Amino acid sequence: MSSAYTNKLLMIDLSRESFETLPVSNDLKKDFIGGKGFGAKLLYDMVLPETDPLGKDNVLMFMTGPLTGTMAPAMRGCVVTKSPLTGIFLDSYFGGSFAPEIKYAGYDGLIIKGQAKKPVYIWINDDTVEIRDAWHLWGTDTLKANEQIKTELNDDTIKIASIGQAGENQVLFALVCCEYNRQAGRGGAGAVMGSKNLKAIAIKGSKLVSIHDPKRFTKACATAFKELEASPDVEAFRVAGTAASVDFANETGLLPHKNYQNGTFSKASKLADKGQARHLWLGSAACMGCPIRCSKIGAIRSGKYKGTITDIIEYESAALMGSNLDISDIRAVAHLTKLCDLYGMDSMSCGNLIGFAMEACEKGVIPSPQGISLCFGNIDAAEYLVHAIANRTGELGMLLSKGVKQASEEIGITAIDLAVHAKGLESPAWGPRGVSGMGLAYMTTDRGGCHQRGFTVTYELSGEWKGAPLDPLSPKGKARMVIALQNYSAGRDTLVNCDFGSYGISDDTYAELLSAATGQKTDPATLVETGERIWNLVRCFNLAQGLDPKKDTLAPRFVNEPLPDGPSKGHRISAEDMDYMRQEYYQLRGWDKKGIPLDKRLNQLRIAYAGHHK
Amino acid sequence: MDLTGGYNPRRARLLIELKTENLYHIPAVCNQCENAYCMNVCPSKAIQRNDDGIVCIDPDKCISCGLCAQFCPIGMVTLDPDTQKAVKCELCQGEPLCVEVCPTFALELVYRGNINE
Ligand code: SF4
Ligand code: SF4
Repeated sequence: MSSAYTNKLLMIDLSRESFETLPVSNDLKKDFIGGKGFGAKLLYDMVLPETDPLGKDNVLMFMTGPLTGTMAPAMRGCVVTKSPLTGIFLDSYFGGSFAPEIKYAGYDGLIIKGQAKKPVYIWINDDTVEIRDAWHLWGTDTLKANEQIKTELNDDTIKIASIGQAGENQVLFALVCCEYNRQAGRGGAGAVMGSKNLKAIAIKGSKLVSIHDPKRFTKACATAFKELEASPDVEAFRVAGTAASVDFANETGLLPHKNYQNGTFSKASKLADKGQARHLWLGSAACMGCPIRCSKIGAIRSGKYKGTITDIIEYESAALMGSNLDISDIRAVAHLTKLCDLYGMDSMSCGNLIGFAMEACEKGVIPSPQGISLCFGNIDAAEYLVHAIANRTGELGMLLSKGVKQASEEIGITAIDLAVHAKGLESPAWGPRGVSGMGLAYMTTDRGGCHQRGFTVTYELSGEWKGAPLDPLSPKGKARMVIALQNYSAGRDTLVNCDFGSYGISDDTYAELLSAATGQKTDPATLVETGERIWNLVRCFNLAQGLDPKKDTLAPRFVNEPLPDGPSKGHRISAEDMDYMRQEYYQLRGWDKKGIPLDKRLNQLRIAYAGHHK
Repeated sequence: MDLTGGYNPRRARLLIELKTENLYHIPAVCNQCENAYCMNVCPSKAIQRNDDGIVCIDPDKCISCGLCAQFCPIGMVTLDPDTQKAVKCELCQGEPLCVEVCPTFALELVYRGNINE
C-alpha cells in the first residue's frame, strides 16, 4: 500500500563506522505519527538515565513528518536529542529543504549515535552512505562548510546540515544549520553534533514520496492553499514575517529590555518591520513548498557592516540581540545575528547571555574584560562576547559558553538573580509578567524556557479563551489553556508543520491531508490525543533523566521584581501565583501533587511502561 | 505528482536555482529553443519539434545516451532515474500541470509572438 511514509529509518553508528536501516512499525505510526512523536519515543527507548549528552551514548535524530516532502504546505523537520544545556529532552525545528531531502533519499528520519574518532561528515546518496573525512572542514563556519562540501562533491543541489565553530567547540547552545541557513536553533543540538566529531550531513535523494490517495490529497492541498490565502494573519507574515511583533510586544509591555528588567523600549520601532525593510530587505524567500514566504532576504547597505547578506531578523533575535541589549541599530543587530548564524549558535540564548553579562558587569557582580566597556548599548562589547563565546576564549567567554544557568551558578548567588531561564534554557523574548499564562507555559514546557509549546499571549490579551473570559494577570484558569495549547502543539509537531501554517489551515484540513497521504484515518482529536501522549512520555523521560519537578518554576526576576513599565506595570508572578497555577496544572494533567504523572493517565494514553518514577 | 506518481522536485521539469546565500532565486524553464541543441545532438532522432513548436522526446527512439542532457545550455533535459529515458518539459499538451497547481500563481503559459503583432 502506497503511503507518504518511507517506512525506514537510517541509523548511523559513528563509533563503528556502520549503518543500517530500521523498519518503522505500525504501532509507532499509529501512536506517534512522526516528527516529535517518533523522536520522543525513540529517545525514550534509546537514551538511558545518566547518559552524558555530549558522550557517545547520546543519539542525535533528524525526523521528518509524514507530510514532509509532499505538496502539503509548510512542512518541516525536527532535531531530537538529549540537550547538553538542560540535561533533558530537546526538540528543535527547522525549515528549508533539508528535511524533504531525507524523505527523497528514502528515509523517515536519521538516527546518529556513537562518536567518530576524528572529524567526519556523512554523505547520503539514496541507499549509499559514506562517512568521509572532515579534517579540512574543521574550523569553518556553517555556510563555508556547506559551500565546500558542495564543491568537493561537485553538486550544488545537495542538501546539507552543518555546524560551525561553536558546535565544534561544544558551546552548550550551539545549533545545527540546515539547508539553507535555517537553524535547528535551541538547546544545543549543534554541541551534540560537535561532540560526535560530526561536521555535517550531506544528502541527495532521487526517490519519490508517494501518496495513498493522490486525488483526495491534491484536493486537500487545494483547500489548504485556499485557507492560507484567506487568512489575514498569514498575509501579515507574508508582508513582514515576525518582525512586526517587535512593535506589538513593545505596546503590550512584553518586550525584553536590558536583560528583561523592563518590558518596553523607546526605540523599538527601529528594530521592527519598517526599520528592517528600509535597511535590510530586498525580497522574499520561503522554505521548500511554502507559499507563505515569511522570510525576507537582503543585505545591509550602509554603515560599518555594509555588504553583509542577511535574512530577516526574526522577532526573537531582534528583541534579544536588540532591545534586550539596549541596541536600536538594526544593522548592528543583523551583524550580530549573522555572526551567531555563521558560528552556529543560538542567537536567542546568546542575546540573553550577553544581556546577563552586561547587567552583571554594570552591577559590579563581574568585572569587564580588559579593554572592553561591558555595558548596555555597547555594540562592540556585544560583538566581543559573540566571538569570545563561540571560540570559548577568555574567562568570560568560557563561562558564558555554558549557558546562563551554569554561568550564573558558577559566579554566585547575586548572579543567579539576574539569570533568566527555565530549566537551563534561556528564556525567549516574551516577558511573562503581563501574561501569567505565558509564565505557566515557561514553567512547564518540556524542553525548558520556550514560547512555542503553548503561546498564550494573543488569547490572554484578547481576554478570552474558548468563549470564557480570562484575566491576563490572574493565575486562575491558565492551566486549562496552557495544557490545551501544549497538547495541540505536540500533536502538530508530529506532522512537523510550520506554526505559521496553522494560522490559516484548519484542523480538519490537516487531518484530511494526513489521512489522504497515509491511508491512516485521522481526525483533529487524534492529533491532540497524540500530543498529550507525547507530552506525558517526555515528562517521564525528563524525570528519569533526573529532572527535579521543583524546577517547574520561573526566573527570580519575573517572581520578585514588579514590571516597571507598560500596561501591566507593577505586576509580577508571585510564588503563590506560581504555586496556584502549578497545582491546577498538575491536577488537570492527571499528575500527582509533586508533578509526577499518575499511572492511571499513562494507562489511558497507552504508555503505562513509562510510569513508576516514585 | 501526476507526471511521476510521487513528489520530488529533482524530477520536476523546471528548476529554481538558489544563489548567493539564497539572495537570488533564478527560475529556468525550457525555452523550446529555435536552434535546440538537445535536438541537434541527439544521435537517434528521438527529439523532434511538433506542429506547435514544442521540442518533444520520443521515448521509444531514445537510446539513453545522455547527450541532450549534457548539451542543453540550461540543464532542462534529464534522464529519468527509473526508465533511463530522456525527459524534458513538453508543456503537457498545452495544459501545463505546474501552472494548474502552483499555489501562488507564479506560473503562466504565454506564447512568444512578434512584438508588433
Ligand atoms: S531542452 Fe534545453 S536545448 Fe532543448 S529546447 Fe529546451 S532549453 Fe533548448
Ligand atoms: S538521451 Fe535519448 S533523447 Fe537524449 S540525445 Fe540520447 S537518444 Fe537523444
